[in-house]
Amino acid sequence: MSQKINLRVWLKIPDAEAATVKNTLIRRLGFGNVLADVKKERLFSIEVDSGDPQELAKSFAKELVNENKESHIVLIDELLFEEGYVPVKVALHIEDGEAISIRERLRSRLGFENVVDVKKATIWKLFFKTLKPEAEIKAIEVAEKLLINPHKDTYEIMG
Amino acid sequence: MKIAVMQFPGTNCEFETLLAVKTVGMDGELFRWNRPEGELSGFDGFIIPGGFSYQDRLRAGVIASKEPVMNTLKEEAGKGKPIIGICNGFQILVETGLLPGSVNGSGCGKVDMALAQNVMVSQGKIVRRGYYCDWVNLRHEAPSKRCSGSFTIERGALLRVPIAHGEGNLVTTTPGLVEKLNEEGQVVFRYCDKNGRVINEFPFNVNGSTESIAAICNEQGNVLGMMPHPERAFFAWQLPAFDPRKQRPDEPGPGRRVFESMKRYIEVNA
Repeated sequence: MSQKINLRVWLKIPDAEAATVKNTLIRRLGFGNVLADVKKERLFSIEVDSGDPQELAKSFAKELVNENKESHIVLIDELLFEEGYVPVKVALHIEDGEAISIRERLRSRLGFENVVDVKKATIWKLFFKTLKPEAEIKAIEVAEKLLINPHKDTYEIMG
Repeated sequence: MKIAVMQFPGTNCEFETLLAVKTVGMDGELFRWNRPEGELSGFDGFIIPGGFSYQDRLRAGVIASKEPVMNTLKEEAGKGKPIIGICNGFQILVETGLLPGSVNGSGCGKVDMALAQNVMVSQGKIVRRGYYCDWVNLRHEAPSKRCSGSFTIERGALLRVPIAHGEGNLVTTTPGLVEKLNEEGQVVFRYCDKNGRVINEFPFNVNGSTESIAAICNEQGNVLGMMPHPERAFFAWQLPAFDPRKQRPDEPGPGRRVFESMKRYIEVNA
């Protein structure tokens, strides 16, 4: 039976991309009254068909996470987020060359033949001054106005 | 005849572009993104050069597309003034909705396509992805006078111009858009081999772009977006060593024709 190893990875140092997104949302797109902060994570979802997922997660993290500047947490067969923000998952709906490269690197170069699939996404953590469900409505607006180009990206509001 | 060469944080081809503008006999100046946007109405045409505006954060061109100057450029485009977006400039025009553009040419802000991450495919396999720079051959697909940036270029003409980008893969989910671009003569350049044959795989199609499309214009033809860099092939001495024209440095380079076209377009439409 396959299992999914989720690695949530974020910068320990200031994230300039998240700062730029926050700045654009507030200064250019009119979210200043409702948006408090924006943070960003990378998400790797690695499907394996054998092996101890916790041990495998440690090995994958060594390859995919730079501990000098990044932190991460591992979630097996689940994807949970903290309270206080609306997580928006953005991923490509066209072929994701980077995810394919990571899969091939793990399988062929690093010998993890139990890797079945790799998916990659960005998690935008939107901190609003308002509460749900209004915050989620605003998150949809943020996603569609800035975070995605629908011709290549999809988004999902993670509950 | 005054051209504004737009400059965003991270633009990196503005000086070459301005030199090209002036060398073909137009006047021009750099226009920083944070100048009062109303001053743009005093220009006769606009070029958004290449580079990495805002470090390509989020995705190439999207942050610049939200700047107030882009709203003004939409209005200026609606008046029929020419706008040429080169590489990152093309990405900005797409994210602004100016390309492929709305019916009245003013741009409705609807984004109808994307310039996605390069995926180079050969014989059904991904052989490479990501940033790529090389000299490419372009075939001019539109009739002459169809588009501001290729106004004086005859259909079928071949140009050798360099590319340098990581996100030039034209994709769309808009039904019928590519067919419409073809039918309306809005596909301006395609990647091809040195004989002008379009071969829809790497290394001829350098980024996986749909139907090897390298450049498109809006319906009115005044707004052009192209991934290759004509300003980097403006003089013959800029050409690669294997091109015999490099030995004749006084000759114009193939990219010059794009800037000459813009000038002629403005003269004809003044």
